Amino acid sequence: MRTVRLHARLLALALCLVGLGSVAWQVWVQEIPLVESDVEPVWVVDARVEFEPRESLPIKVQMYVPPGANEFVTLSESFVGNNFGVGMSRSDGNRLATWSTRRAQGHQVLYYRLVLARRFVMEDDSDAAPHFRRREPLEGAERVAAESLLDPIRERSADIQTFISETIHTVNDDNNDSVRLLLAGDRSVEQRARVVDLLLAAAHIPAEQVHTVRLAHGLVQQPELWVRGFNGTDWLYFNPRTAEQGLPADRIVWWTGSEPMVRADGAKRLQVQVSVSRTEMSTIQMAREVQPVQERTLWGLSLYDLPVESQQTFRVIMMIPLGVLLILFLRNLVGMETLGTFTPVLVALAFRETDLLWGIFLFTVVTALGLSLRSYLDHLRLQLLPRLSVVLTFVVVAMTLISVFGHRMGFERGLSVALFPMVILTMVIERLSIVWEERGGPHSMKVAFGTMVAATLAHLLMIRAELVYFFFTFPGVLLVLVSVMLLMGHYRGYRLTELRRFRALVKDQRGG
Amino acid sequence: MWLKTWRALRQRGVLGINQRNCELILRYNQRHLYPLVDNKLLTKQRAIAAGMRVPALYGVIETERDIAGLGSLLSGHRDFVIKPAQGAGGDGIIVIADRFGEYWRTASGKLMTLDDLEFHISGILSGIYSLGGHRDVALIEYRVQPDSVFSAISYEGVPDIRIIVLCGYPVMAMLRLPTRQSQGKANLHQGAIGVGVDLATGVTLGGTWHNLRIERHPDTANPVSGVQLPYWEEFLQLASQSYELTGLGYLGVDLVLDRDAGPMILELNARPGLNIQIANDAGLMARCRGAEQEMERCRLAGETSTAENRILFCQQHFYGASGH
Repeated sequence: MRTVRLHARLLALALCLVGLGSVAWQVWVQEIPLVESDVEPVWVVDARVEFEPRESLPIKVQMYVPPGANEFVTLSESFVGNNFGVGMSRSDGNRLATWSTRRAQGHQVLYYRLVLARRFVMEDDSDAAPHFRRREPLEGAERVAAESLLDPIRERSADIQTFISETIHTVNDDNNDSVRLLLAGDRSVEQRARVVDLLLAAAHIPAEQVHTVRLAHGLVQQPELWVRGFNGTDWLYFNPRTAEQGLPADRIVWWTGSEPMVRADGAKRLQVQVSVSRTEMSTIQMAREVQPVQERTLWGLSLYDLPVESQQTFRVIMMIPLGVLLILFLRNLVGMETLGTFTPVLVALAFRETDLLWGIFLFTVVTALGLSLRSYLDHLRLQLLPRLSVVLTFVVVAMTLISVFGHRMGFERGLSVALFPMVILTMVIERLSIVWEERGGPHSMKVAFGTMVAATLAHLLMIRAELVYFFFTFPGVLLVLVSVMLLMGHYRGYRLTELRRFRALVKDQRGG
Repeated sequence: MWLKTWRALRQRGVLGINQRNCELILRYNQRHLYPLVDNKLLTKQRAIAAGMRVPALYGVIETERDIAGLGSLLSGHRDFVIKPAQGAGGDGIIVIADRFGEYWRTASGKLMTLDDLEFHISGILSGIYSLGGHRDVALIEYRVQPDSVFSAISYEGVPDIRIIVLCGYPVMAMLRLPTRQSQGKANLHQGAIGVGVDLATGVTLGGTWHNLRIERHPDTANPVSGVQLPYWEEFLQLASQSYELTGLGYLGVDLVLDRDAGPMILELNARPGLNIQIANDAGLMARCRGAEQEMERCRLAGETSTAENRILFCQQHFYGASGH
């Protein structure tokens, strides 16, 4: 016995040292951070559309949304509009979101949210070739004015780039009579951009207006108008006011063309507001979200080499031993009664899919239903297996009904009864019914309660982000867990519940 | 507070579940021997072969087909006991005390038809009551007639005597009395009372009920202590011999006292519970340590210990409530 215990202790020590060593090597040699602290900026772009519906008319709101820029990667995109249906379409290289509803009452607000992060790896997909739009031919005085402007521009420029920049300079020259004629008294940027557009079209240079948004924290802004022209290989971006060339790195294209950002049918007092905020996200988390993961030799051989979906799975799997260890503690140190060791961990895993509170509710309700059906079936004198089969089928029916009714009532939570929780739930009910048969109702309630508490604790432990990061990044820590489990195997002390159970033995001694 | 309780329990040599599993069950009980005690049919057959007294076996029902023959099997008996061969903790046992035409009356007064009995046996066969839910067989055996010595301190059912045996040394004993709550069953977790027994004399000590110490039987209100158990030496003999019978070093032996046949072995348990310590107000670990020292002494002295020697040692060293 003594030698066996020594053996186990040495093995535990060895495993513990190897595990800690691997963590230490990863921390000091590979310089992997102990906590998930490396962060990257992430921009959250919100567009808010407000309007009042017109009397009893169907409403259709169309808004351009960013087509996706090369330098940025879309982490998520969401549309929020109560009672509005949302559709996406593409037109002329733009993306158009359409909210529609048959009727709406009172002040309406629609939200569009885009979450962007700077891309690690540049993909080489240049913008699509320009499409030439037919232009209304210029007439009369405008044609004369345009031609009188184009000749000097052509003389002062060498190529398309300089031609465009010279055009912008010319259009911004308020002393020029021809320009004043074309502007027709409107000196806004939009009008100038329209004139630039018009001149470039007359010179057969593909060009269009571009509406951009600047990614800067806490900025409420209107999209800024830029102009871009195609030089045969690339789009060249210009500021229509200053002729400054090149889009700044913090600007993204929202839409192109001269259409307004939002158009609404059946609505009045339309207001649009774009705001940008900056948050942070850990590098590793982002690497998970962004598909083409940057090559990271730094990580060496690690779980981070796996495809992203497998990583997601392993983030869960790596936490299972920790859950098992917790159950081990609860059973052997505390003396809590649960349904086996692994069942509470499985229930905890099911909680991940259902959410804790809803999961507890679901498990309690369905288990209670299943067990009461079981006690009813007792009167029918069925054999064990047929009876269990009836109970399990009933559980499936009950969960289906909960999902369907939940969905009917717009309670999407009901749908979260995925396959996995359903399987676990039926298994728990089967085992509980067996306990009920063997040990009676009160004992099975006690066991069910213990299982629920243990599963809740295990769930809360297993979803701790820092722990998940730690276990996933430093798998060697599992060996340390094994060494603890080995030591627990020879634990001979009292369980906490036993201190209570045997208290009669202590009291007597004090008395005597 | 907890630490103080902990120390006090350790000092008294109170055995906890972890320690029992680690130091006694894992150490003295080899897994391959478990079927001998987990299967009551095997235990009974072995005991009969060794010439030890057990309740007579009326019949065994092994398949659903055998159930059809239940009526004829029972025709000659007014009272009997139906139990699963591999039941745990006394579950699934039905004690039939009398017969009225079509009906049987259980010890607790419930009337059952042949259909009811057949359904119960079908449940036993499908493994409801067996450890791990495996298929099982049902035993139908002699119903023990409780000796009148227990009538004052027992409510229905048959009291039994649990003796913990370490390698043949009977280290602690307890009388288990059924109560109204336990429905005639003698298992502590079903609500029966455990009463400590002085190993030296066979006189009962204080009792335990639901982890509490009690002095009187809750149903009959008679004091449970000071009752002299008859044939005490024979009980200890049977318990001590069970070690040779099974080869299991740490064993709970359940014995009964029949009015006519005297002490007999009811069943054996390889994982006996720990409440016996509360009944005796003594720590089991302390006594096991004493027995282990004696074994070590015998080994060094080259003595072969007989059942008589072992019983004598225990009676001399483990007496009264506090002795060890």
